[in-house]
Amino acid sequence: MGPVSVMIESALITVVQMVVALTASPFIVGLIRKVKARLQCRQGPGWLQPYYDLAKLFRKDVVASTHTSWIFTATPYILFASTLTAVLLVPIFLSKVPLNFAGDAITVVYLLALGTFFLMLAGLDAGSAFGGMGSSREAIVASLTEPAMILSIFAVGLTAGSTNLSTIVHKTALLQGIVTDPPPHLMALAALFIVTLAETGRVPVDNPATHLELTMIHEAMILEYSGRYLALIEWASALKLLLFLTLMSNIFAPWGIATEREPVWMILGVGVWLIKICGLAVLIGVIESMFAKLRLFRVTDFLGLAFILSLLAIIFFYILRG
Amino acid sequence: MAIHTDMGSQLVNLCSALLLLTCFAIIAQRRLSACVDLFALQSVFLAVTAALVAFLTGAYHIYIAAGLTVVIKAIVLPRILKAVIERLNVKRELELNINIPSSLLVCGALVILAFYITQPIISLGFLLTQDSLAIALAIVLIGFFIMIARKKAVTQVIGFLVIENGLFLGATAAAYGMPLIVELGVFFDILVAGLIIGVYTHRLQDTFDSVDTSKLTGLKE
Repeated sequence: MGPVSVMIESALITVVQMVVALTASPFIVGLIRKVKARLQCRQGPGWLQPYYDLAKLFRKDVVASTHTSWIFTATPYILFASTLTAVLLVPIFLSKVPLNFAGDAITVVYLLALGTFFLMLAGLDAGSAFGGMGSSREAIVASLTEPAMILSIFAVGLTAGSTNLSTIVHKTALLQGIVTDPPPHLMALAALFIVTLAETGRVPVDNPATHLELTMIHEAMILEYSGRYLALIEWASALKLLLFLTLMSNIFAPWGIATEREPVWMILGVGVWLIKICGLAVLIGVIESMFAKLRLFRVTDFLGLAFILSLLAIIFFYILRG
Repeated sequence: MAIHTDMGSQLVNLCSALLLLTCFAIIAQRRLSACVDLFALQSVFLAVTAALVAFLTGAYHIYIAAGLTVVIKAIVLPRILKAVIERLNVKRELELNINIPSSLLVCGALVILAFYITQPIISLGFLLTQDSLAIALAIVLIGFFIMIARKKAVTQVIGFLVIENGLFLGATAAAYGMPLIVELGVFFDILVAGLIIGVYTHRLQDTFDSVDTSKLTGLKE
């Protein structure tokens, strides 16, 4: 194959990855809602409800306050674009994503942080009391989760010898060298799981199903949004959830992922990946049903736990493996 | 056989790491009954670790110790503690001498200390349990810390039991288990200690209307 056809193939794989992520993300959100509904002995909305919601919102007009600035208008696009770019850097069904030259784990973390930053600005922008409250709470949560997330990915990166997500996943999938190292990886996984719950606004930290002013964080920031802006934000948060579940399943247990560009392996890779993230989504649904939301000032305890665990994972590697 | 021991040692290390994780969960937990549940879970992990070591080394007497761990530490002692909690009505939030974020930091420092101390001797030990010794020492130190940092008598018992779990893991890791007679003695001691502390906690409640052990330092009359 010549270099041109390799490039076309890479572009094609990237597009497929984008389409897979975009279609799968509302399904995961719907799956968590369904699990919660079933645990509450309800039937719950149908599997396609999140897709209907998005379609409905895209058809509706946008209502924006006259006090808002360009930040309010730009935020949905920035958030959606940065999240989607981050998703393209994470191996989903192929261990070496074609875009892996473009950025590593640090890029992914800060692309997500960029979206969160603009969402916080947009929350403040409309000048409503709820938006400001949501933004300030989100700032607490984001500043506490970010170090834990970076450190937990580094802990795995240390064993793989790279911060590039594709290299980490590829080496772990092929078991090159001693890449699996249970104790530090387990601590890092626990930390990343806590980070996932916090970053995607799940129950012990935030409740995605409530609009009660005392408790909401994410919902408070996007309260002013409507129409296609809201659709973009909802879709972006679904993508973010998908990204975190993919990180957890593919960094720590990438087995089943395609390690070379064979169509058969890649289709199998999509299947295995779907099973893994659905499993994690069910787990999150069960956790949401079992635990009550923490008080806001207890959230720091919970996130402190994630930070300490990820730090210990790294120190464990340095002291006992160094 | 190299792959077999490699897989085995990874599994043993994984289970030991789960023990350490539950330690941190106990520290971050404020509800008393959840602490007891987490201790029971930790004991189950301990039993699994011991059973794995027994399976991989052929030291079958460790199976008995693992079975006793499940029966005594995962079933009987949690029941006793739950009964004490039920009677005392203290299941709400814990009282702490040190708040949770600082306790987490202190425990992180303790774990680092334990790793540094054990790091030079790890290469002398068995390959199968290379990380377990470091983790065992970390668990013992965290257990001490729980006993110091918590005010309620019941959580101090949990700290004591966590120390015992750490010691058991250490014995399994360093020497592939103690002689059976010693282990039986230890289990009996633990059981009796649990019962005595339960009775003592009742007395504390009757005398002071509280199980806060810091009240013991004050003089009455």
